[in-house]
Amino acid sequence: MRLLLLGINHRTAPVALRESLAIGGERLPAVLNGFKQNFPGVEAVLLSTCNRTELYIARPSQSPPDIDALRRFLADQCGADLDALTAASIHREQQPAVHHLFRVTAGLDAMAVGETQIIGQVRRAYEAAQLADTTGPTLHRIFQSALRDVKQAHQQSGVAALQQSVSSMAVEFAGNLFESFTDKTVVGLGAGEITKATLRRMLSSDQSPAATWIVNRTASAGSRLAASLGLSTAMGETISPGGHHGGARSWEDLDEVLVEADIVITGTAAAEPVVTAAQFKPLLRRRRNRPLFLIDLAVPRDVEPAVGTLPNVYLYNIDDLNSALADVPRRREKIDRCEALVRGAAERCLGAAQHQDLGALVRQLRNKLLTIGEAERERTQRKMQALHAAGRYDQIDKLLDEHTHRLINKVLHLPLSRLEGKGKRSATPSPGEPKEAAESGGEVPMGFYAAALRRLFDLDETATVGDAQADAPDVANPGP
Amino acid sequence: MTPTLTNLGLVLLTLTAAAASAIALRRLRSAMAINQGAVNPDATTDPETRDDSLPATRPTPTEPGKTTLNLLVTAIALGAGALLVYRWAEVGEDWNPIAAHVDGLLLIASLLAAVGLFIQRRPRLGGLAVFILPLLTLILAWAICASTWTYKEFNPGSLYPVWTAVHLTGVYLGTLGCALAAVAGVMYLVVEQQLKAKRNPRGLLRLASLETLERLTVQTSAVGFALLTVGLVSGVLILREQGDALGEGWWYSPKIVLAFAAWALYAVVMNVRVATVFRGRRAAWLAVAGFVLLLVVYGIVTSGGHA
Repeated sequence: MRLLLLGINHRTAPVALRESLAIGGERLPAVLNGFKQNFPGVEAVLLSTCNRTELYIARPSQSPPDIDALRRFLADQCGADLDALTAASIHREQQPAVHHLFRVTAGLDAMAVGETQIIGQVRRAYEAAQLADTTGPTLHRIFQSALRDVKQAHQQSGVAALQQSVSSMAVEFAGNLFESFTDKTVVGLGAGEITKATLRRMLSSDQSPAATWIVNRTASAGSRLAASLGLSTAMGETISPGGHHGGARSWEDLDEVLVEADIVITGTAAAEPVVTAAQFKPLLRRRRNRPLFLIDLAVPRDVEPAVGTLPNVYLYNIDDLNSALADVPRRREKIDRCEALVRGAAERCLGAAQHQDLGALVRQLRNKLLTIGEAERERTQRKMQALHAAGRYDQIDKLLDEHTHRLINKVLHLPLSRLEGKGKRSATPSPGEPKEAAESGGEVPMGFYAAALRRLFDLDETATVGDAQADAPDVANPGP
Repeated sequence: MTPTLTNLGLVLLTLTAAAASAIALRRLRSAMAINQGAVNPDATTDPETRDDSLPATRPTPTEPGKTTLNLLVTAIALGAGALLVYRWAEVGEDWNPIAAHVDGLLLIASLLAAVGLFIQRRPRLGGLAVFILPLLTLILAWAICASTWTYKEFNPGSLYPVWTAVHLTGVYLGTLGCALAAVAGVMYLVVEQQLKAKRNPRGLLRLASLETLERLTVQTSAVGFALLTVGLVSGVLILREQGDALGEGWWYSPKIVLAFAAWALYAVVMNVRVATVFRGRRAAWLAVAGFVLLLVVYGIVTSGGHA
């Protein structure tokens, strides 16, 4: 079986594409059923969070679908532009795909490195695939191992105790600028999933800010987000029934809100920066030069980088925040440790899978040889009966020799003809060919087969020195 | 007898302060080393202990030396205070504990050490001690110079001993406030620079936040400003009575001009929340500049005469 991954994430894809590819829990079964109809017999799990959409599939090597077919499928399902998806998507196979899944599950590829929330999202994605009956033995093994081993790695490395989230990171880092967080004004720019999740966590913690404002280009979406966070829904109204001070503000109010703000979190789907240096510079004086902590979570960025060079403005994107917080030795130690544990677990997982693949291969080989043996046995049996009938018992020894020779020749025919005719074949690899050779796309040097034969059958080198001399350097360093 | 004992005491205090600074800096370095070593845990940790539970191998970057440090700083505070009282009894006049420059420096050193002790206990002001201790060492070393080579009593038998005492105490304590403002300013600049470089200033030590440091700069500047005002006004009063001490045109002598310039700078710094143009980095630089000006004034005092 071959494992493939196609996906987009917060690093590769703009917010707009991420939002169009986000497949919620209610739509997931339909998409999985669509996958089953398009590609019957292929295992698939679809993971979709606000930061990533990833499709994991397992199929026999050499059979469809290929990556392009998967891209087309995702684009069709979500009505996204195929070119945009192609430009923003990543694609992994086998070991890198397994490693990626393990890192994603462990939150090491998350916006807030070390976030443990994603483990639940991976579990739900796996369960949904089980319900839709698109999982099989390969994905079962990999996902179960990921969920189990990652949990263990979190506990062992101490990452579980970090309780990481974008919100907690913002609050923690704000401690470098501000004496206390609870008397500050927080502004969320954009009403997308990222601002929503971050503000929700911020408001539900005991470190909730004094005032929280949401500014969105579409006023209704801003009001909806404000309502869902327990803030006031009416424009400009300040005290809400939810008990938090703040609410939604109109887009025209943006400058005003930026003057009041101490911490701004941006996550709009705009294609151009919405906060520019030219626009922000005049506000500095009105802000009375108070420090401002700007966290830009959007891709493409919402805030012009030049804004970060203005005095008393501290502009961070999510990568800056992650790497700055990793300056704390204890935190970095935990995350590095988790990374190492996860890598080890991913390698073990694929090792076990390959072991199982090898078992299947051996069974296949045995069956093939058995069919050859069976055919020869029948042939020899017929001849023997003829000899018995004719009473020519002296010919039986000869027949036995003939049988043995034919058997050996038949068994060796295909491998040896491959070995000798190697230089000529290439363009059309036949299905029986070793998959490593076929799928890496290139020619496997002859020395590789020669060395493999020598190793597998324990052959002496001196006996064949004349044949394999040209390829001798390759023997020492066999191919894939 | 008295100068020898003073010198001996001062040398001991300076060595103690140097030791304390060294310990503080070593703690800073060990925090940095852990910071860098953690990039590659396999290289720094014994492979056999790596599989053990994490709490056992977790390094404790801050604790060793903390008690020693506190003891040393306490010793400096008490020692400098004792030396000051001793010199007051031996050399000083009734109303005036500060008979010479060395006494003023001792007064500052003693209080600075006390402030350092106080700050060590305040988590929000973390990291400030590392910046204070080298300053303390410098002040004590300066006191050795002032006591050994350039020793000169201020106006022995002044006509106005009370005013002289007020003037000197005001000026020295004001300078202490300004020194603290300068330390907070330097720390502000360090933290600010780290933040602009997208680094976590707390990676090394638990440093105070920008807001805290700005508040500290403003408050210590205000205290320094108030005491300097007392010192300057009383100084001007004395000068008006003994007008010829600095010669003709005393009011535009470098000492007076620079002192008033520094005083004016602190007037700005303590009001940065109103005069917002100077907020942030600029306030920090002003606090440092004011302190440098004050040091220049002291230089003039010790090299030239004093009223």
